[in-house]
Amino acid sequence: MNGVREGESLPAITKRITQEGIERYAEASGDFNPIHVDPEFAAGSHFGGTVAHGMMVAAYISEMMTVSFGADWLRSGRLKLRFRAPVLPGDTVTTFGAVKRVRETESGAEVACSVGVRRGSGESAIIGDAAVTVASTDGSG
Amino acid sequence: MSVDYSTLAPGQEISNRTYDLDSGVVSRYAAAVEDGVFLRGGADAAAPVPAMAVAALGLRGVVNDLAIPGGTLHAGQELEFKAPVAVGDSLTCRATLLQNSVRGEWRFMVVRLDVENGEGREVMAGKSTIMLPV
Repeated sequence: MNGVREGESLPAITKRITQEGIERYAEASGDFNPIHVDPEFAAGSHFGGTVAHGMMVAAYISEMMTVSFGADWLRSGRLKLRFRAPVLPGDTVTTFGAVKRVRETESGAEVACSVGVRRGSGESAIIGDAAVTVASTDGSG
Repeated sequence: MSVDYSTLAPGQEISNRTYDLDSGVVSRYAAAVEDGVFLRGGADAAAPVPAMAVAALGLRGVVNDLAIPGGTLHAGQELEFKAPVAVGDSLTCRATLLQNSVRGEWRFMVVRLDVENGEGREVMAGKSTIMLPV
């Protein structure tokens, strides 16, 4: 048994997006695409302003999965994400996730989840699927 | 540096870089994404490196070696984490082009990412779909 139940919601994580945070991510990731860090360039884009890096916002999903599944996520996590809408400075975003399926195996359980990130407006910025192999904790397999 | 993207062929290695994942690199990443799990671990060297920090390193070579132009969009991302990564690990990140096509005003490129630790163990694999303005 691993304690994970189908239909269970994963703990939401909420973050406030700022231009300063986006610039910190650019420094940390080495991605200085002007769509993220150059307001003048970004103003001429179809977004009309800077947007957060998709991988910065996706990191919040991974944090949610780490909170939920701990080291199992780090050694067996799988993610498949689509970036659907831009996240802008000033947005507050919240992750969402739910367990879709739990399949017991000899070594634990294969857990499949639907995951994503919503903007404050309710629009989904990222949607996708996550999966993780949860090791058995009671030795019964 | 400018890259003639039309000459890039599927199967071609587009980046191969090794990074030392020291505490500064990881701390800057964790601060940037406000990773509560890592930040709660504080200075504990055993605190797990955020999985997406490894993914970000994997993509860094793609961004820099492909000289990704302004306005490029990240359309999709697949990731598979295969082993935890610790502060102090050395990671070799390879990127291989899988697809390269033009549709309308966008060039779609699909890139495979492979990341190994200093012992040669694969710690992450992935696939990025990016859209470059034509």
